[in-house]
Amino acid sequence: MKLEEAPNPLAEGLHDYRIADPAVMVIFGATGDLAGRKLLPALYNLAKQRSLPAGFAVVGLATTPMTDQAFKQMASDKIHQFSRTQPIDDRVLAAFLDMLSYMTVPSPDFKALGQRLQELDNSNHIPGNRVFYLATPPPTYHLIISQIEAAGLHAGNGWKRIVIEKPFGTDLDSARELTQTLHKVFSEDSVYRIDHYLGKETVQNILAFRFANTIFEPVWNANLIDSVQITIAEELGIENRGLYYDHAGALRDIIQNHGLQLVALTAMEPPLAFEANAVRDEKVKVLRSIRPLIGEDIEQSAVRGQYTSGWVLGEKVVGYREEKNVAPDSQTETFAALRLFIDNWRWAGVPFYVRAGKRQPKRITEIRIQFKRPPHLTFGREAMKEVDPNAITLRIQPEEGISLKFGAKVPSAGLRIRSVTMDFQYMTSFLVEAPEAYERLLLDCMIGDPTLFTRADEVEAAWSLVDPIEDAWRNGRPPLETYPGGTWGPPSAARLLQQDGREWHRP
Amino acid sequence: MSVGLSEPQKVWSAEDVSISDVLNALGDIRGKFARDEAHDDHVHPRSCVMTLIGVAPTEADEVSAMRTAELIGTQHPALAIVIREAPSMRGHLDASITTQIQRPQIACPTECEIITLHVRGGAAEHLAALVDPLLVSGVPTYLWWLGTPPFGHKELLDALRVCDGLVVDSARFEEPFRTFRGLSRLLKVAHHRLGLADMQWSRLRPWRETVAQFFTPVERRDLLSGIAEVGIDYAGEGRGNRIAAALLTGWMAAALGWKLRRAAAGGGGVVVAHYDAGSRMVEVDFRSVQKGHLAPGEVGAVRIAGASSGTTFRLSVFHDPDRKAAPPDAAYRTTHPTEGEDDAGFELAQRRAEWHRDVLHENLDSFHHMATGEMPGESRPRSPVVVNRERRRPDSDRVLLTLIEIGETAPLRHVQQLEQEDDAALLLDLLSTGTHDEVYNRSLAAAAALIEKF
Repeated sequence: MKLEEAPNPLAEGLHDYRIADPAVMVIFGATGDLAGRKLLPALYNLAKQRSLPAGFAVVGLATTPMTDQAFKQMASDKIHQFSRTQPIDDRVLAAFLDMLSYMTVPSPDFKALGQRLQELDNSNHIPGNRVFYLATPPPTYHLIISQIEAAGLHAGNGWKRIVIEKPFGTDLDSARELTQTLHKVFSEDSVYRIDHYLGKETVQNILAFRFANTIFEPVWNANLIDSVQITIAEELGIENRGLYYDHAGALRDIIQNHGLQLVALTAMEPPLAFEANAVRDEKVKVLRSIRPLIGEDIEQSAVRGQYTSGWVLGEKVVGYREEKNVAPDSQTETFAALRLFIDNWRWAGVPFYVRAGKRQPKRITEIRIQFKRPPHLTFGREAMKEVDPNAITLRIQPEEGISLKFGAKVPSAGLRIRSVTMDFQYMTSFLVEAPEAYERLLLDCMIGDPTLFTRADEVEAAWSLVDPIEDAWRNGRPPLETYPGGTWGPPSAARLLQQDGREWHRP
Repeated sequence: MSVGLSEPQKVWSAEDVSISDVLNALGDIRGKFARDEAHDDHVHPRSCVMTLIGVAPTEADEVSAMRTAELIGTQHPALAIVIREAPSMRGHLDASITTQIQRPQIACPTECEIITLHVRGGAAEHLAALVDPLLVSGVPTYLWWLGTPPFGHKELLDALRVCDGLVVDSARFEEPFRTFRGLSRLLKVAHHRLGLADMQWSRLRPWRETVAQFFTPVERRDLLSGIAEVGIDYAGEGRGNRIAAALLTGWMAAALGWKLRRAAAGGGGVVVAHYDAGSRMVEVDFRSVQKGHLAPGEVGAVRIAGASSGTTFRLSVFHDPDRKAAPPDAAYRTTHPTEGEDDAGFELAQRRAEWHRDVLHENLDSFHHMATGEMPGESRPRSPVVVNRERRRPDSDRVLLTLIEIGETAPLRHVQQLEQEDDAALLLDLLSTGTHDEVYNRSLAAAAALIEKF
């Protein structure tokens, strides 16, 4: 066994304690919203769990001139405001802040950054390990990556990893261009495309549910499953994201990544192991098996809508075009629904209905597996009239859990069957609290486990499916519909299922 | 996620009853809860994570077990059964049921139940028969024995028959030296499914994590085979206070394949052990320290030193280091500079000076045995062993300071905060991962082998 493959014998049995090598995390955009709301609080919580190794250091970079002390103060404020765990432990925070330093983005090149990193390597016993976290807008990615290369920061001893946030491009061409830029400097194994959705415990639980049990997999196919419905609904509007959202829309913002990831996790074949390439290979196979929507398919199988004013959770809300930084004649969809078919042996003929929208009646993400009706009505039509087909619902948020719907006899002298639900809730069944997605993903990256990160071919396969729909929609086919805020999308969304003799499940 | 939580409420109690009466009362309570909460004509299923049986030898332990069960119940629906033998009571079984209801904002309400049983007479010796009808089917059953379990007695083995795991706290054992040996023998006689968990092992987790972390980088893995010295400071004196230090040593020895060759213990709480690590020997030293913030038996510092491929290294981990304390001997430190907190050089000299006294003291043990015919190890006068119920106390302000020295570079400091260690948190930590911990079992066996030599 090679040295790098030999496990640390002292780490055996330390359940859930995943030990990272000492490294420097360089956060580009360290004064921005993502760093303040997510990254710094997640790192603080990792420090609190004693998951940050001795010698770990963070160098924050941004264009704002700032001293180390001011950066630490900013980090402290953000951690107090956004940390998952409260109250803040002052001693943990003080020790964590000691790990931070700040640099104004050096110009004309990153040589000064290289010197800082070298100093940290020497003082902190770090063997050249680096995580470059690009918490900056996507247009800056190319420049930062080329500067990293020019300064030679990608080379030398130790591992070098780069983390980028979604969106990974705005279409297939731009995604490929981004990948090419990344691959000039980093190998694919070192590129960590973060989609925080995959860091959620309940998303990972889809795999546990399917592949750690024997009773579900035999029925998980077209023989018994009638259809699959995936709902990703938010009661919120676009908040302050008008500038970004008006150029993205629900299809690019949610379905291209979260939506198709959920399809892939629901439909994938069992991987050989819960290991990065094994899992991602199977997901890519699903994405490539999805029948592309082209030409007239788009009008029959894709629906888009935009919210108008309405009532959500008892509050009156404005329409999308009245939101800040949105064009008054915007054609951007805030709701999208697709009917997809996966052309493989397991799923042939089973429609996957995927919908995502803003200003929906409530916030919910769930996957509903609808089974076929019994082939014969043993108890007669009258006794079964209140019985729905069996269904398994995997709830991702907010009430994480799994429910199974089945028929049971109503206690009475006669024979009447009614649907009942057997519920399982994660929060009432385990003795531990789930970590925040960024905590899990940051640690995964430091440890070098990319299983829950998106690979280039996954991204490209997803864009290949979405691009033709985007093109058709930009050409006004079919015309944009509207829906009042607080409803489940435009009328065509219901018709999408009605034409198949089905209807959306009410989450 | 906001959670509405009711205050624990005693909803039923009766004297001189049978377990059937308790079961009937429990059924009524559950039925009422299900009906009351079924606002939508759909009775929600009961949710239960485990059955926790707490055996409390004293009234104070009973209060502590109840409080811990209530704390666990605030987060996780469980059935807790707290049992105390009360020889002076009138009947054979007095029982009460306390419930606590959680109403999460976005999930079904759940009810936690705590059954208190006061028993007298033969029932107290047949715990399995007493609790078996009450256990929740399909979820694990853990027996948490507060105080000192009667290792080697039929009563304990009978109780373990219905349990998936036994939880003890070896830091709270009366006569810890003798009881710990009983604990180490338990796995040989208990049923094969039984898991064994020790809250003291959980307390050592930060030490294990910190030591493991040091050796995790691939480029430091070679250092494992270069370890030459391990030093452990512990609070208090006497062999009863060396259990935690022995567990840590046992853990390293079992993980790294060290074979115990010899060990000697003596006055002043010093222990020296030599392990055969293949091509070299590893010397392990325990040193008793008196520090106000440490409870007797608690580990105060761990030092690991050695050399590999021409590079020396030293890992020093301190619990709440007291940086204000003056070096004990300034002149000595001038000769052996030890970088502030790291007083390993001083320790080494002190150890050498005490060596002869240790050997003499060790021999005293066998002299006493020869003279009295009593069992070696147990017969030696206990002084200065300090073991009492107050050996553990709540910690609220705990820090681990790690100093890393590799080669000639300046020491790298790393400060970590330790969580508060209340019983509920430790129990949750143990039970969340189950009680089947092979690493603990191996470490326990290796620790037992070491303390046999004390």
